[in-house]
Amino acid sequence: MDTTLPDASGPSRADMDTAALGDTAAITTPRARVPVKVEDDADMVNVAEPPKFDLDTYIANYTGRTRYDRLYLIGTCSPLLSTDALKAAITEAKTSKDVSRYERAVRALADVAPNDPDASLDAAWVQETSRYVQTQTERLEHELRGYKNNLIKESIRMGHEDLGNHHYETGDMAAASKAYSRMRDYCTTPNHITSMLFKMVNVATERGDWMSVQSNVHRLRNSQSKPEDAAKNLSKISAASALSQMHQGSYLEAANSFLSVPLDLGDTYNEVISPNDVAVYGGLCALASMNRDELQKNVLDSQTFRNFLELEPHIRRAIAFFCNFKFRQCLDILEAYRPDYLLDIHLQRHIPQLYKRIRTKSIEQYMIPFSRVTLDSMAKIFAPTVVGGEARPTDISSPFVQELVGLIQDGVLNARIDLEKGLLVSNQIDLRAEVQRTTLESLREFNEEAHLRILHSAVLQAGLEVKPENGEGPGLGKGGRFPRAPGKD
Amino acid sequence: MTLLSDIISASAHLHSSNHLPSDEYDRRIRELVEYFRRLQTTKALESFANDESFLDRFDPAIDSIPFLFVLRVQIQKVQEQNADLFPADIRPSGKLWTRAAHFLASFDGVQVRYAGREWRLLVELVGQASQAASTASRLVSNISWPLLGATLVKDAMLRLDPSGAVFTSSHLLLVRLCLQAKAYSCALPVLNKQICHFPISLGRPSSEPSVLCADHGSSVSFMTEASEVSSKISYRDYLQYFLYGGMVYMALKEWRKALHFLGIVISMPTTSSVSLIMVEAYKKWVLVGLLEKGKLCPPPSITTPHVVKVYQSLARPYIILAHTFERGDLKKLNAEIDAAMGVWSADKNLGLVAQVVAVFFSQTVIKLGKTFAALTMADLSKQVSPSPVCAEVTGPAVSSLIMSRALNATLVQTKDHAESSMLRFSSIHSLPRLSHELDLQSQLKQEMKLMETLVINLGETNNNLGLSDEYVDSLHKGQVWSGSSEVNPTGGETGLEMDEDLMGDMS
Repeated sequence: MDTTLPDASGPSRADMDTAALGDTAAITTPRARVPVKVEDDADMVNVAEPPKFDLDTYIANYTGRTRYDRLYLIGTCSPLLSTDALKAAITEAKTSKDVSRYERAVRALADVAPNDPDASLDAAWVQETSRYVQTQTERLEHELRGYKNNLIKESIRMGHEDLGNHHYETGDMAAASKAYSRMRDYCTTPNHITSMLFKMVNVATERGDWMSVQSNVHRLRNSQSKPEDAAKNLSKISAASALSQMHQGSYLEAANSFLSVPLDLGDTYNEVISPNDVAVYGGLCALASMNRDELQKNVLDSQTFRNFLELEPHIRRAIAFFCNFKFRQCLDILEAYRPDYLLDIHLQRHIPQLYKRIRTKSIEQYMIPFSRVTLDSMAKIFAPTVVGGEARPTDISSPFVQELVGLIQDGVLNARIDLEKGLLVSNQIDLRAEVQRTTLESLREFNEEAHLRILHSAVLQAGLEVKPENGEGPGLGKGGRFPRAPGKD
Repeated sequence: MTLLSDIISASAHLHSSNHLPSDEYDRRIRELVEYFRRLQTTKALESFANDESFLDRFDPAIDSIPFLFVLRVQIQKVQEQNADLFPADIRPSGKLWTRAAHFLASFDGVQVRYAGREWRLLVELVGQASQAASTASRLVSNISWPLLGATLVKDAMLRLDPSGAVFTSSHLLLVRLCLQAKAYSCALPVLNKQICHFPISLGRPSSEPSVLCADHGSSVSFMTEASEVSSKISYRDYLQYFLYGGMVYMALKEWRKALHFLGIVISMPTTSSVSLIMVEAYKKWVLVGLLEKGKLCPPPSITTPHVVKVYQSLARPYIILAHTFERGDLKKLNAEIDAAMGVWSADKNLGLVAQVVAVFFSQTVIKLGKTFAALTMADLSKQVSPSPVCAEVTGPAVSSLIMSRALNATLVQTKDHAESSMLRFSSIHSLPRLSHELDLQSQLKQEMKLMETLVINLGETNNNLGLSDEYVDSLHKGQVWSGSSEVNPTGGETGLEMDEDLMGDMS
């Protein structure tokens, strides 16, 4: 890597080298993978490279049902970790009451490691648990009916809540969300309402129903709880809303929301998102949607978000590199962590899009100070493998040049490619000529439009509209209704 | 010979009143025209029908009315004698033709306003005679008779109405003659004037606000329905005029103006059905839109939606062609054109379609100029069309584009791989500064002038609409509503005004 510069952030050196080592392997596969529609089905994603995290410490960050989801995702997407992750997922499922999850994990493990002792279904447990779930459901519904007969609001609310919790634990999300939403009429204090809304947010998050997350977050913001409670909930609320914004693809809003997550989030929201996640998601969304000044001001200099960034120093380094005009290093770091992020339950779907935006934006930002750049120097920064691999890296058919062509045609880059001298020349806009051109154009358009409309009204006034053949002749149409002046002298 | 001296004295009477106030002049000229119309009906003018020297006594620039009437009588006489609509005397280079030409080139615009009918008949005759001459002598001579007629008609029209803002039947005659003569630029002086009005009956018959001979700001006040400067106009006439006008501009490759004219045709108000002329115009509109803007232009915003739907169903092949053009695949474009060859030739649009292909190439190359500053010809032909056949064709095509200044670029021979030269696009704004600025300035001035005339015409339209029967009617109705309570003498309590109204209407 000849582009690594001796720079201030020394400790990153070692990291950089490992990143560079993994680079050759990493860069070829993702490129092939980009056209795959990830959102079609998540199972298609296959992350061959080893991620940097340790499975046990990673999963220890989370609590609740998300643990299983994350383990299952890693198990199905990463061949290297699949056995470990799936086994952990099976134990996770067995401690809960969710039979379908257990069955799903076992099936997945059987595909990967058929000879593993865990790969066969524990029929006794399944039967026992399903019976338990069944009776429990009936019992809770029965109780609820009793409460309803007694007409005590608080009991009814709790009855619904218990039923909802039960459905949530056993994986029946539709029923859980129905039960929770029924609580609404029986809530008497703001605290009840917030707790109900949080439960609904959790259910919606697990279902991937981001519109519903958004609307519940909105309700949470408007709920009239006590100031100290509101402050306590604020971190969770903003984290949830940021997450839903990211999933809806509005990265700039998501970045701003993540940046505004208060520091006291801590481990309070581990059933959905950890502080590390906030740092990563926020950092990536910001990188993909903000320019260098905004990044410096809103992300690096932010008092609260800096603390989140401490948890994931490589994200901070990537942003710093981006702000300091060192795009190669920034992209290298991101490439190195690509497998990690592809194994993240929330990021997986968005990584191709986010990475593409970051890359486009770095090319765009790179071009800003120059009036002309050699394609070679650009290729060294943005497509190092192409430089090494091909005889003529700046030929028209090389993927890097094609990428530039695409960017120019989409209007992202205001520049032109000079293939003779191997340059990218930025377009100088002659403001005077531009103004003259637009003036003339708008004048012409106005005149044409005005003429059309004047003629239109003249035709109507003269009663000369286009009318059916047989109706033609004097005295019909508009002129007929109002007899005109007689005079033909 | 008393009649002759009568006529001479009558027109001399008019000469002396030249400096009179306009209403007096108006009265006298009306009298004169009445006098001639009377003579005409009593066949008193017949006596001059064969007297060739008679017309020599009058100068058409001063005595336009006597000249015009006598010329009409003479022409009628000749037509009757020969039992032929266009005998040799009337045909170009005939005796009466020269007289008519002399008149049309020098008549007094103000006097002729009073004899609009006779003037129109003469113009029509000249036009038709030149047409007839061309059909008769096409094989014998190669002189373009319609051109002679067209020039006369054009001059006469501009003489009568220099602003050219009112549509008359002569407009249609003129463009038709020009298209026949293939003398497209001959029609331009008239086409470039913007038509904003149609001859209508003005105002209330009882109150004539001003006299015909007065110095009018806009021609709409003397080119009225009553003056019969134009024959009865139907919607077909003006649709045809604008379609033909568009075709004249197409022939001159002034695509933008052609597009405007076609836009007028396709956006005209309809009651329920669509004229085939409009459909025809839409087909040309699609093709011209491709030539001018390189894309399928939506019809003007004031077009009614159901008309647009009719176009889209009737001009299917054209719209498909436009979509293929936009998608930018030369091979498919050619395939589309070949597939619908019958349609193009049936609609007589083959020429335009052929130009579309030529423009497709130059559009693609110019678009490449926005992406690349320089690239080899080999790369270029790869970008334009993937098939290898085109490689030899692109070279000459590009150089002809550069030579015709459609493309601002240079070709450079490179040393290292000589088989392919380098095409270097000039930077976007490197036009020769001064001439460009001057050109722009004149264009801006021209547009401004146009806008000024439009504003005048707009005021005129506004005024006319304000005087129209419909508007006065509705105004009157409004007054009846608000005024009836005062009119009713038995009006009592103010709180029951509504009731009072109803009662008043019933009684």
